[in-house]
Amino acid sequence: MSALSKNIQRTIIIAFIIGTLAIGAVLNLHLRHLRQSEAFYRWILAFAVNERLFQEDRAVDADFDLFYQCAEVVDTLPEMTGLIPPKDESNTAPISALSVIASDYTHDKELWNFARSKEAAPLREEFLSLVRERKLRFAQDIQYAEAQAGGVNLFNFFFGFRKVAANFVWLEVDRYWHQGNTYRMITLMRTCVALDPQFIDAYLIGAWHLAYNATARMPDTPWPLREWHAKYEKCLGEKERFYYVAVDFLKDGIRKNSRNSKLYFDLGFSIYKQKLKDYPNAVKYLAEAVHFPHEQYVPRQLFLCLELNGQYEESLVGWKDYAARYPDNPVVQEVAPRFIARNEGFILEKLASNLRKKAREAGDQEEAERLNNEASDLWEQARAVWSSINDPFGEGRKMRMEALDMREEGRHLEAVAYLDKARWEASDLFDDFSNLIIEIKQEAGIPLTISEKKAVIRESEAGICAGMPEDEIEKRSQAAQELDAAN
Amino acid sequence: MNRIFSFFSGPASIAMYTYREGIRKKVLIGFLVLSLLVIFGSSFISSFLDPTTETDINLKLIKDICVTAIAIFGALITIYISASVVPGEVENKVIYTILSKPVRRIQYLMGKFLGAQLIIIVNLLLMGMLFFMALYLRQGVMPTLLLWSLLLTYFQFVIISAFTFALSCAASSPLVPTVGGLFLYITGNLTEYLKDVEHRAGQTGQMLDKIIGDIASGLYAILPNLQNFSLSTQIVTGQPNDPPADVLIPNLILYGMVYGLAGFACAYLVFWRKEV
Amino acid sequence: MAPIIKVENLNKIYESTFRGQDVHALKDLNLEIQQGEIFGYLGPNGSGKTTTVKMLLGLIFPTSGTIEIMGSKAIDSSAIKRHIGYLPEGAYYPDFLRGEEILHYYGRLYGLKGKDLKRRIDQTLEMVGMKHARKRMLRGYSKGMRQRIGLAQALISDPDILILDEPTTGLDPIARKEIRDILLQLRSEGKTLLISSHELLEVEMISNRVGILFEGVLQTIGAVDDLLTQRDMLIEVDGATEPILQDMTQSGFKVEDHIGTRLKLRLESPSAMSEVLDLCKSKSLQILSVTPRRESLEELFVRVVGAAEAARR
Repeated sequence: MSALSKNIQRTIIIAFIIGTLAIGAVLNLHLRHLRQSEAFYRWILAFAVNERLFQEDRAVDADFDLFYQCAEVVDTLPEMTGLIPPKDESNTAPISALSVIASDYTHDKELWNFARSKEAAPLREEFLSLVRERKLRFAQDIQYAEAQAGGVNLFNFFFGFRKVAANFVWLEVDRYWHQGNTYRMITLMRTCVALDPQFIDAYLIGAWHLAYNATARMPDTPWPLREWHAKYEKCLGEKERFYYVAVDFLKDGIRKNSRNSKLYFDLGFSIYKQKLKDYPNAVKYLAEAVHFPHEQYVPRQLFLCLELNGQYEESLVGWKDYAARYPDNPVVQEVAPRFIARNEGFILEKLASNLRKKAREAGDQEEAERLNNEASDLWEQARAVWSSINDPFGEGRKMRMEALDMREEGRHLEAVAYLDKARWEASDLFDDFSNLIIEIKQEAGIPLTISEKKAVIRESEAGICAGMPEDEIEKRSQAAQELDAAN
Repeated sequence: MNRIFSFFSGPASIAMYTYREGIRKKVLIGFLVLSLLVIFGSSFISSFLDPTTETDINLKLIKDICVTAIAIFGALITIYISASVVPGEVENKVIYTILSKPVRRIQYLMGKFLGAQLIIIVNLLLMGMLFFMALYLRQGVMPTLLLWSLLLTYFQFVIISAFTFALSCAASSPLVPTVGGLFLYITGNLTEYLKDVEHRAGQTGQMLDKIIGDIASGLYAILPNLQNFSLSTQIVTGQPNDPPADVLIPNLILYGMVYGLAGFACAYLVFWRKEV
Repeated sequence: MAPIIKVENLNKIYESTFRGQDVHALKDLNLEIQQGEIFGYLGPNGSGKTTTVKMLLGLIFPTSGTIEIMGSKAIDSSAIKRHIGYLPEGAYYPDFLRGEEILHYYGRLYGLKGKDLKRRIDQTLEMVGMKHARKRMLRGYSKGMRQRIGLAQALISDPDILILDEPTTGLDPIARKEIRDILLQLRSEGKTLLISSHELLEVEMISNRVGILFEGVLQTIGAVDDLLTQRDMLIEVDGATEPILQDMTQSGFKVEDHIGTRLKLRLESPSAMSEVLDLCKSKSLQILSVTPRRESLEELFVRVVGAAEAARR
């Protein structure tokens, strides 16, 4: 082979290598752009869910400013504005169009396209710059070294084996749980989810540990020992704090995994419904859970919480739709008819009560009579519904209706006595009957017992604790004085 | 068409021979058996957890451990095979009997490289199959995301394999390219730090720091970044139909192919006029 | 007729990587090998034989000079390599393959396929006497069988040129003879063989021409008969007493061996024969045998290499 042809061949090979490395460099930059866009996209999802669902966590900070700049850009893009559903007039919360789009996971592709688009380029740059300066709350744990620049990232020493490391840390969490070492367990739980933000079960079980197991042997904190927490606007002791730590833990999980229904479900059902008895929030999060691929039991819990929250109409519609969708499901066959009947009963009672109230307020005698007759018809229909259910709950509701009838007739003492007996027979409605007794007594001016007074103080806003702001103390003191005066 | 066929028939024969010879190597079988033990054993690790909790943690444990085992052992197998296919033949003089035939050096290299890839793919499939079965028995559904994970893992191995292969063409024994391959694997996963260097260097404003920053930036752009393939572990436990993954996967496959080609071209540059 | 292999002013310098000395392995080598001959390429270890062979095969590249094979300088091309078969020294063949599978593999590398390949495998196995063991794995082969398979892979494409490096090393005498017979048969078919070997007796038996290399320089080259020109005679006589023995020694005759009254005389020139005959007649010695002897290739080799070493000093 001549020297010239050797040189030509060598040059061609070197040129080929340089060419492929150049293409590789272009791909490197493209992948970097994609990964930055992915970090940006996930931050948008995290902030959007925070804005839409966790309004109590809203603060005007770097995240807020950047997000609203994104929202402004989105408002100018036809391909994005076309995705916005018609405005729900009943929902007056100030939520950006971007958050509304992000609430529907079927629009994820469009959001992703926006995140990596040319129009979003300046926003992306600002996002990365803010992340490097650690100024974005919702981007701290996005697992890309790019987004975590600003220091040696220890996580990268695992060469991408962070998930396995998280699993082994979880084994330690389990070990500490069995040893009863709660505080170490909590620290490690946070380490787990820092290593692997997609570790859903760490969030779920972690929240369960916090809300249930860590507090299982703790008594309710006496009121004088409670402290005011500005974040939750509640007086909390150690036990109660754990519940809200669980809430925060799950919310953190939701921000990082906003498309996983289990997190919403656990927050709504396990924490808000079962532990905190906060039905409005329970409904809120369960309603989110059904927007994503979910287990069959999730909608049932939503309908139950709607019922508990007094949203009987929505609950009824939900149950009927559910029964129609899964007619062959044995659980549905057993449970749905009962709950449909319950909600029908509640609706009838509510309608009857409303008509009676209107009748009382009506100026015209004839109108009042007509309304009362209508109310009586509905009342009887409700009674018939409770009879048809044929279970202790139905019986309890009938007893309640009896008591309310007595109250209507002015037979307050009888009503109280009747309810006092009935609440031991219908244990499901014990709390409801107890509250009704207090209500009737207060209405009739009958003195409350000591335990009834305490219950009222617990439930009312009369409780004061250390650290409470002055205006809150003022409000509660006034309420306490009014209560004293009433009794 | 005939010419194309006859050009590739030599490499095809060499590839099959390389595969048949390589798949019998004891070290390889050792790595494979170890990985299968780890995959099989992952099912038992979950017994350390509280059996009363009904969660998917057991499944996640299995997935994460198996994906990691496949990544580690797969990388070891890749490096070992890629480092030994050519030096082994130089040591035992078989290369003389092949290069003295009407086989061009590029055909020889193609055959050896393809043979090594066949071995890697077969091992990956074996490990993947056991993993697949373990998941199917537990989950009862076909874990299709696992296939994508395996595919991405393979293309990561293509990059490691190609550059280790290039090193092996310059070496006379497998030891140096094996060490080189391990070094490539580790540094490929730490390329992200060059971004850190670039960023920090840019902050001081000094000339030398700026040059260092530019060099770091240039190296970051050119060198293959294996951290990009961390998606393969994410997608196994992540949500299906994740839009970024749908875009990243084809880009990563192309990325693996381009760098694999670059590595192979380096191997040819080294071997083209190498005196054997 | 044009030589089938022609080497002109071939030089090979192995450059040292660090500060060591460069090694000038071949110095202006000029060599021509004719078609249809067996050429014995000899030299001590490190003389440059393997270097030459590797350059002919394109495994290493000359520093300067030219190589022509079959009239073409493109020795690296497939067209030329198709006509060459090579058996390297001590090559390894994988144990797990069968005899015919090895040949199938190498045949494919030559571009053979289908029925052609099958036919050639059968013919080659027949030629090297390995048909009976074709289905056996190589791990069950003896050294001689492996060597035959090695020869078979070199012959699979029916090449015109065969380059063999130590084809009979480590084989038993019967195996050696069989290999020699194969090589002679190949020559009779018109093939050209280049044999590099330390088994000088065998090379002497089958080669047409030999070349002796020392420190990269071709010291001597030529037909075996032409090179081994030194002839002497060995005469064995009986009846030589001690005085006769002394007489002969004083007369300048070389006594090779002496047992009792029998002695062996070496005559370095044929003209001394008549003197000896006269002496035997006069002393009434009985002539037992007259054996003409020429120099062996080994003796030539030692002589040439020795002279070269002396000249170097």
